[in-house]
Amino acid sequence: MNQQSVSNSSFSQSQIAETDFEKRRGISHVEVRTGLTQVHVLDLPQPIAKSRINVLQAVAEAGVSLDFLKLTPTGLSFIVVADKTQTISETLGKGGFSNQLDTNRGIVLVHAVNMRDEEGMIATILQRLINSGISIDHASDMHDRILIVTEESQAEKFKSLIEGGALNG
Amino acid sequence: MANNLHIMKFGGTSVATPEARMTAAMRVISAKEKGVNPVVVVSAIGRKGMPYATDTFINLLREIDPNVEPDPRELDLLIACGEILSAVIFAHTLKTLGHPAMAFRGGQAGIRTDGVFGNARIVSINPTALFRCLDQGAIPVVCGFQGTYSEDRSLPGGELTTLGRGGSDTTASALGAAMKADAVEIYTDVDGVKTADPDAVKEAPTLRQVTYDEVAEIAHLGAKVVHPRAAEIAMNYNIPLWVKNTFSDDIGTEIVSRDKFPGRRVTGVTHTGKLVYLQFNLSASEKAHRATLESSIYGTMERYGVQLFMLNVSPASTGFAVPRDQYPIVQDVLDGLVIPVGDADSRVVYVFQLGTATPEVETQVQLLKSLGEVRRINAVLTEGCSMVSLVGHEYMQQPGVFLRALQVLEEEQISVLQTSDSDFSLSVLVPEADTMRTVKLLHQRFGLAEVV
Repeated sequence: MNQQSVSNSSFSQSQIAETDFEKRRGISHVEVRTGLTQVHVLDLPQPIAKSRINVLQAVAEAGVSLDFLKLTPTGLSFIVVADKTQTISETLGKGGFSNQLDTNRGIVLVHAVNMRDEEGMIATILQRLINSGISIDHASDMHDRILIVTEESQAEKFKSLIEGGALNG
Repeated sequence: MANNLHIMKFGGTSVATPEARMTAAMRVISAKEKGVNPVVVVSAIGRKGMPYATDTFINLLREIDPNVEPDPRELDLLIACGEILSAVIFAHTLKTLGHPAMAFRGGQAGIRTDGVFGNARIVSINPTALFRCLDQGAIPVVCGFQGTYSEDRSLPGGELTTLGRGGSDTTASALGAAMKADAVEIYTDVDGVKTADPDAVKEAPTLRQVTYDEVAEIAHLGAKVVHPRAAEIAMNYNIPLWVKNTFSDDIGTEIVSRDKFPGRRVTGVTHTGKLVYLQFNLSASEKAHRATLESSIYGTMERYGVQLFMLNVSPASTGFAVPRDQYPIVQDVLDGLVIPVGDADSRVVYVFQLGTATPEVETQVQLLKSLGEVRRINAVLTEGCSMVSLVGHEYMQQPGVFLRALQVLEEEQISVLQTSDSDFSLSVLVPEADTMRTVKLLHQRFGLAEVV
């Protein structure tokens, strides 16, 4: 690194060209991940917090990784990759946990920078999805994206809507 | 390349008092004497309640008439004064220590933004004036958090805009990118990015390296470190970003790209407090009407710009947490909201009820009965919640992570109201009174005391 002092340095014109910085507001792009199954575990006995731990213990012992865990009034639901559907079905069956498996699920990742500071942005995305007739199984967010679980066919429909500019207006 | 150019940004606590400013100024001078060309960025002097803090300026307008909303353009002009004062005082402090310095407003430093007052985004920077200042042997001191908007760039001047949350970090990072700086250093009053809030975990170690996306996610989930906007700019331009302590010689935390540091399994535990959780029970509604009801809820949240946390959408219910300071808006617009669905022959009138029914809602229900069948959509309210999050990379996809987190909370009888997760994080919603205990327990369970 050059340690030359500033008094005898000269900064070239190439260093002072205007540059674009922050990404534009709103949705930048959409990704779809497919091949997922949503698992609903229902009617767990009380105390429900303990029962949920028992379910998670069984799933962990079966070596299955889960995403989008959601606590429901009588149990919990989560997402697994489709090739673990059979394992999950057997594991929950063996544990005596009543369950429902919805296959053909996908995750839509809507990328939009700094969404927490754009007032109402998450609500905007959800409202417009609902208005487009797309059913949402689950949603969560990160600093630069919102993740939505839906049917695979709906995920592709949503992606097309975005690509058609329907959600940025 | 510029010659060993460092952007040195000093936050509110680093410029709050003459002593703090002197310490910060000595850091700048020490860097210069080691051959660094410093460009200083400053936040407003002091934090909430102090004479020249942003909130104090806003109160000058609010105390005239709290019912009249200030114009966003005028508000930007007013609150930008905090950074202007800070920059002038800092430049003068450097001058008194024998080092020529010049203060610059954001616009004078060449920072152009879009025209969204109060939350502007930087569109371009022309740092000619800053380079000229350096060429003259002086130290530029730039006001953070502000820029200039001009619809027609051929016209002189422009409107002063402010950058919103994290604005001064964003200024520093963007100047670093525009000036091709060798480093952007964010100076604060802690040693760097910690594995947890030291108020919850005293022994929380300082992370020596983190990736840009880890730090952005940590900030998104509540930690007061580098703002995600600043991390994003640094990442896009591959500028080494540092978080350092003005008041100690600790080396701080370096924020780098994933090819320089692969990240770690678990980075830290963060918390965001003061939330209200609302769970709307849609089971009383016709299946065909649910989309209309959900759309009404989220449409209303959109119109009023409400921030949503811990989203939980399912066929029979929908729920989310909102910041407590935004809850009165939610209550005003949703409690008693009437949604008629269907035609005259089969009309169902839905009435939203948040928590226990108020006399107004009861009256409304009675009056609406003449219009058709009235059904209530009840929302269960849980006031006083916090979101505690475990941030990590890839580890979140390992079997048993949820189990480990929920098991320890269950053992300690902390009630988990809801969970949420993403590629980089796992969050639990807990009663506010249990926030610090939850942070401490997760920090311990995931072995974060040993992380470096």
